[in-house]
Amino acid sequence: MLFYIDTLPVLFPYPSVYPEQYAYMCDLKRTLDQGGHCVLEMPSGTGKTISLLSLIVAYQQHYPEKRKLIYCSRTMSEIEKALAELKGLMKYRTQELGREEEFRGLGLTSRKNLCLHPSVKREKSGSVVDARCRSLTAGFVKEKKERGEDVELCVYHDNLDLLEPHNLIPPGVFTFDGLLKYGEQQKQCPYFTARRMMAYCNVIIYSYHYLLDPKIADRVSKELSKDCIVVFDEAHNIDNVCIESLSIDITEDSLRKATKGVNNLDRKITEMKSTDAEKLQNEYAKLVEGLRAADEARNEDAFMANPALPDDLLTEAVPGNIRRAEHFVAFLKRFIEYLKTRMKVLHVISETPPSFLQHLRELTFIEKKPLRFCAERLTSLVRTLELTNIEDYQPLQEVATFATLVATYETGFLLILEPFESATATVPNPVLHFTCLDAAIAIKPVFERFYSVIVTSGTMSPLDMYPRMLNFNTVVQESFTMTLTRKTFLPMIIDRGNDQNQITSQFEHRNDLQVQRNFGSLLIEFCKLTPDGVVVFFPSYLYMESIISAWQGMEILDTVWKYKLILVETPDAQETALALETFRTACNNGRGAVLLCVARGKVSEGIDFDHHYGRSVLCMGVPYQYTESRILKARLEFLRETYRIKEADFLSFDAMRHAAQCLGRVIRGKDDYGIMVLADKRFNKKVTQLPKWIQQGLDQKSTKLSIDQAVSSAKAFLRDMSTPWSRAEQEGHASWSLEDLQAHQKKREIEGISGTDNPRIRALEGRAEVEPKEPEDDEFGGADADAVMADLDIDG
Amino acid sequence: MSKQPTRANGASTKRLAEDGGASPLSKSLHGLSLQHASRPPAVADSSSDICPVCKSSRYLNPNMQFKVNPECYHKMCESCVDRIFSHGPAPCPIAGCARTLRKAKFRRQTFEDLKVEREVDIRRRVAGAMNKKEEDFETLMDYNDYLEQVEEITWNLILKVDVEATEGRLRRWEDHQKAELNPNARRREFDSSVPTDHVVLKKGATQRKTAAPASTPQTIANEMNEDIGFKFHGLKKRVAPPPEAPFDPFGGWSIAPQYYVLQDDYEVDWLTNQKNDVKHSVGGYDMRDFYNRSLREAFGGFGVFIEDEINARGTPSLDPHVGTKQAASVAVGARDVNMDDVF
Repeated sequence: MLFYIDTLPVLFPYPSVYPEQYAYMCDLKRTLDQGGHCVLEMPSGTGKTISLLSLIVAYQQHYPEKRKLIYCSRTMSEIEKALAELKGLMKYRTQELGREEEFRGLGLTSRKNLCLHPSVKREKSGSVVDARCRSLTAGFVKEKKERGEDVELCVYHDNLDLLEPHNLIPPGVFTFDGLLKYGEQQKQCPYFTARRMMAYCNVIIYSYHYLLDPKIADRVSKELSKDCIVVFDEAHNIDNVCIESLSIDITEDSLRKATKGVNNLDRKITEMKSTDAEKLQNEYAKLVEGLRAADEARNEDAFMANPALPDDLLTEAVPGNIRRAEHFVAFLKRFIEYLKTRMKVLHVISETPPSFLQHLRELTFIEKKPLRFCAERLTSLVRTLELTNIEDYQPLQEVATFATLVATYETGFLLILEPFESATATVPNPVLHFTCLDAAIAIKPVFERFYSVIVTSGTMSPLDMYPRMLNFNTVVQESFTMTLTRKTFLPMIIDRGNDQNQITSQFEHRNDLQVQRNFGSLLIEFCKLTPDGVVVFFPSYLYMESIISAWQGMEILDTVWKYKLILVETPDAQETALALETFRTACNNGRGAVLLCVARGKVSEGIDFDHHYGRSVLCMGVPYQYTESRILKARLEFLRETYRIKEADFLSFDAMRHAAQCLGRVIRGKDDYGIMVLADKRFNKKVTQLPKWIQQGLDQKSTKLSIDQAVSSAKAFLRDMSTPWSRAEQEGHASWSLEDLQAHQKKREIEGISGTDNPRIRALEGRAEVEPKEPEDDEFGGADADAVMADLDIDG
Repeated sequence: MSKQPTRANGASTKRLAEDGGASPLSKSLHGLSLQHASRPPAVADSSSDICPVCKSSRYLNPNMQFKVNPECYHKMCESCVDRIFSHGPAPCPIAGCARTLRKAKFRRQTFEDLKVEREVDIRRRVAGAMNKKEEDFETLMDYNDYLEQVEEITWNLILKVDVEATEGRLRRWEDHQKAELNPNARRREFDSSVPTDHVVLKKGATQRKTAAPASTPQTIANEMNEDIGFKFHGLKKRVAPPPEAPFDPFGGWSIAPQYYVLQDDYEVDWLTNQKNDVKHSVGGYDMRDFYNRSLREAFGGFGVFIEDEINARGTPSLDPHVGTKQAASVAVGARDVNMDDVF
């Protein structure tokens, strides 16, 4: 259908639009018009991706600037889904407009997924594929070939050079499969096609890491222009992605490998000195001028990248004491030896980068400045030496990256040395965590550089947490709910069992017999009443294991077994995949199954349990993080001091976003239905931290329930759901045809003065109710915070 | 770390075993296996943990510690060091190395790699002499060249290339730096050397006297092209900071009276009684304080012409931020307050 938002014609590839989709698009347009960043929350299964794509593509095609869209998502399957939706959208647009638009949309993923080379693509590990690919495609390999030496090259990559550089692939949208097929036909490398065409694309779809991880972003996303529109979809975990991309763990093993790498480099340098001293001299001469000059040689197949170097550093010359290759190698050796001595300590150390640098200087006379250039210098050296077996140097690169980061950032990072794996271990196995505490550091360049950044997900409550944590300002912040003609999901909070004993995963009580039995009888009851699939989430693997073994003794599992097949998630990905497959088969057979999994595991993040695969989800206990972790403690302290986010607030927010993620697994659309159970007495106080759309369904009478009360309302709900219902019933209310939409637009025009703040219009458009602002409580939260603090427990 | 917990474990298991009434053999076996389990394997398996001198290993002597001497960096265990070097300096016991070592110089090694250990020692030596900073150079380029040169000096020392020549140059450079830092110290050195010569070589005194004035310009010339060890391009000449002036609380403003001279005593009749009165002098009272104060009061405001100053100032500024000016403008209105008087 074609409709207008203000003056912008939007082609939407479906005959009807949900009210919240329309409102979402309006808000998006507002953000794009103003230029700025926004945070939007919309429930899963309401067509977020298609609304985003259709509005932004309409915007691109309507305005002459043709801003590029960079759409980032989290997993491979989500990226593929988005590409498929985009393809569908473009097909619809061509059909409606009657002409083909000049439009390119491409996705990017790792070499492993896009390789066509007959032997390389058979490799299993991603890093091996990367390394082998580089050794076949690097610039110097080609030079060698031209000189007549006998080296292997990749035919697919070479064929690209025969094509026009800006027209490697015809216009249109290519899914990964499509790209692979086209590459096979034309005998050209799909990976490099996508990489090189990036600058000419209207829409790019790839993973967060290509934009956030400075090691990759610098290579892949450097040439993207400033006026791009960046979308982070499924962004509820974006702060963790940012932090992970800048954190490094160094172990004794990696140091040993790094030493081996340095010794190899040393040997290579000596070799090269005797055979091709001129090359080293050339590199030296370039470095005298500065990194920028040395950088000109850099191209897409260069292998290492610098982590988040400030721009002024790149223009500066490399310090004299690491200019010569042999000096630099000795420098690296000294640094690694220093790290080794640090690893020998048998107590936990936590220190800031300046204190680390100070000690380093005292012991080894390594100054801060050459340390900052470490990563870049290593890249340059590796390129000069024309190394091909790059994967051997991975640990060395890690150390160099660490060196650069530690010398570049004074705040927002912390070094934690843990000599023992656990509190009870006696054999030292030291790990040096260089941990980033500030999520804003990695994402800052993105917010600063791009015209408009859109952060969106199904669970982003409370909305203001993200701008605070990531340190940016928003133009629009909005939470949408699902407009429904009938209540298709039933959230409930259960806080006690039939014996009136509490249900909680609090550390002091979690191993009580009554608590375990109550959790068990909850599981039994819901297995009895639910048709098809049941999904159960525990706060941690440790707790899941202990409670399952307790249930085994209480014969609870035997009872469950009568009704459902029991499957368990494990940390092993393949095992879990098998469990999931079996789960689906069991659900398809009609008997149903119960899947026991962990709130922060793979299942809770990426797997959908739509329709009969998930009719009930039970969240057993509040999924808090393991609060005894030193890294988490350091981060909490940092958040309190820098962004004024209280520890309890953050922990609670983090637990609730994971709980909400788990609950969201079962509702994947408007015609889907399911029961959501939060089983812990502590959830009663945390209702406000759930996403608005869940809160809306959670009325007073479904909180503070005992198991039997919950069972009876769940039974009533399932009876309601089983009455015949057709999609036609939601038309006009939860789904608008063109006429409905135009009627609504007219209504809005009449009441237009009050705009989106009018509560009636807000309700119609599926916007969440705005809460009246509460007066700010005092700095330390008074008695209220004490209660919250008392609630925090140690989750293992 | 390795020993104590092991023992504690062993003891507790023994006690447990006794309680359980197990046979003595199984007891000891149990204890043994536990001891093995709790020892860090990294320590036990390393073949480098055998002292090259006495061949004792960590297996026999769990507390063994290794020491090195920065003369030759040969590793040996603590007991060997005690045994060989307790009676004074002795040659290194490692075959092929005959360097004389002293016990006092032995120390624990910081780095696993002895090459790095030695390198760091050399760097410490070089860093002591080469301590220029980026600010000391005219351009960044010069500084980087300097850094590279320093690195090369270090490498010469590490690889034992022209060690003596480099050492000599380093020493000369150090001396030169010291001299530049503190010219007085050098002059003193020079001065002090001359008189001692005088004492020792009294006979040659006359000769020396004639030579002395002639040598002064020569030394200056010598200093100009003296071999200072190294030459660095673009090094800024050190500018000695100006001598620090003594602290002046009034900021250069003189409080000496202009219109009178204070005398020690004034012979005036009406003061004689007071001067001689014991009651006044008992409390530490000094008549001079009285003179000083009275004269100051008498001459206060002398030579101050308010009208002139107001004219010179023009219209008084009414900037509220400058307190004194505001006060001055008030004074203009009030007329009888003289702000220029100190008292």
